[in-house]
Amino acid sequence: MQQQKESSPPSISTLSIVQMNDVSASYDSKNYVLKNIKMSITRGTNYAIVGQSGSGKSTLLKLINGMMNPSQGKIMVDYRIPNISDKKFKSFMHKIGYIPQNLGLIKNSTVLENILIGALSRVSALNSFFKKFSDSEIDNAKKILKLVGLQGKAERKVYMLSGGEKRRVAIARALVQKPDIILADEIVSELDHVTAREIMDVLAEAQATMKLTAIMVHHDLQLALEYADRVAVIKEGEKILEIGVEGDKIVDFQSGNYSQREILEMFSNESEE
Amino acid sequence: MNQKNNLIIGLIIAGVVIMSANIDADPRDFVEGLPNIGIMLQEITEVDSSLFVTAFWSMLETIEMAFIGTVVGVAIALPLSLLSARNLNNKFVYVPVRALLATIRTFPSILWAILFVIIVGLGPFAGVLAIIMYTVGFIAKLQYEAIEAIDADPMDAVGAIGVSKLQLIRFVVLPESASHLLSQILYIFDYNIRQTSILGLVGAGGIGFYIINYIKFFEYGKAAVFMLVVLVTVLIIEWVSVRIRDKYIVKSQRGKQIKA
Repeated sequence: MQQQKESSPPSISTLSIVQMNDVSASYDSKNYVLKNIKMSITRGTNYAIVGQSGSGKSTLLKLINGMMNPSQGKIMVDYRIPNISDKKFKSFMHKIGYIPQNLGLIKNSTVLENILIGALSRVSALNSFFKKFSDSEIDNAKKILKLVGLQGKAERKVYMLSGGEKRRVAIARALVQKPDIILADEIVSELDHVTAREIMDVLAEAQATMKLTAIMVHHDLQLALEYADRVAVIKEGEKILEIGVEGDKIVDFQSGNYSQREILEMFSNESEE
Repeated sequence: MNQKNNLIIGLIIAGVVIMSANIDADPRDFVEGLPNIGIMLQEITEVDSSLFVTAFWSMLETIEMAFIGTVVGVAIALPLSLLSARNLNNKFVYVPVRALLATIRTFPSILWAILFVIIVGLGPFAGVLAIIMYTVGFIAKLQYEAIEAIDADPMDAVGAIGVSKLQLIRFVVLPESASHLLSQILYIFDYNIRQTSILGLVGAGGIGFYIINYIKFFEYGKAAVFMLVVLVTVLIIEWVSVRIRDKYIVKSQRGKQIKA
């Protein structure tokens, strides 16, 4: 923990829920998809990770929820080392709501059945076999359906829903977990402008009311800056910037070497490549 | 078409000719025997309608046998398919279970029927047991293949919540493979009706007992009554299963509703 303080202000470090210290990751132990990532994410913030496809953003999320282990470096999530094979960490995983890019919904099940999956950590083996949930769990699930704007659609089969509605179901499933952290992988990237903002508003509201830490991967910098407190920009596996909006100014927290215009220009050039 | 292909086709044709000679399959015998069809067709038309009642009851017995065999067989096959799916187990589990299933599938149902006639005696019970074995062997294989083909996304997404394996099976694997299972159950039920119809051959009950005996004694007219009942039954079941398939399977696989 001492070392990490060097890369971020001490006051933030003590509050951080996710800490990455020189993390590198690789799928084939030859080509690194992530290189020497340093990151400190403060509890309760809305953190965005932006980059082009193939830049390693999705891998970053999988490192945080332990579905993948780093080849080098150290990650701490709420003072734990993420690793899905570790029983202790597995029992903590329901505290991380993970929304993969393809959402991972059960298309032949109803909306309610899908979101109750988020409650499984609180259900006994016998009751889950009979798909039996307590009344309070069902009430809670319905409350969350209302929060994400899906009231009245609890009994719909997921395959009948629109793209925006499916994303709301995935958000609801994650919220039913009663998580501390929400990880969302390009949740709005295939949506039109209006629907994308609706979904982002739902997430922002949930994050505020449930006091969550949200870590979201985007490829749209504008959208990320609009919603996030901080934005990390990843390019070819390396974190090249960490910026935030303070007032009407964009501040670079990593190096301080770029002006707002330079950052935006740099990114717009990058997207055109 | 190139020369290599021609050579391969030539070799295959030569193989068929040589093998036919080897097993005494002579097309001339077929041509000479054709007039016999006429005799048979003539006798088939001499339908003995008094036998329809017997045919109906023996068909009912056949359906009952196939139904019990299918239900019990599927009930046994389902847990075995979960144990033999590679994406749910390590190889110390799935290899032995798969080996067991392969052994079961090695024997056709008629051999199982003979075996069970020896064990439990003549009658429909031996037939039911044979159908169960056949159903277990096939449904378990088709179903573990369906489970292995499940989309990895929901498995990953739900796995990332830290749920137990049983919960993963109950909430992801079963719903995601349910439409395949239903389709396979309909298929195997239809198939079981047809194969139960011939298990009578070895004394394992069902309508086949009558068919085989009448044919043995050249009473084609009487056998025809029973075959007609089988045909009608199979057509009815085919019609019903198409309806079920449209209602529950086609819809979910296309991801939208179709008009019934």
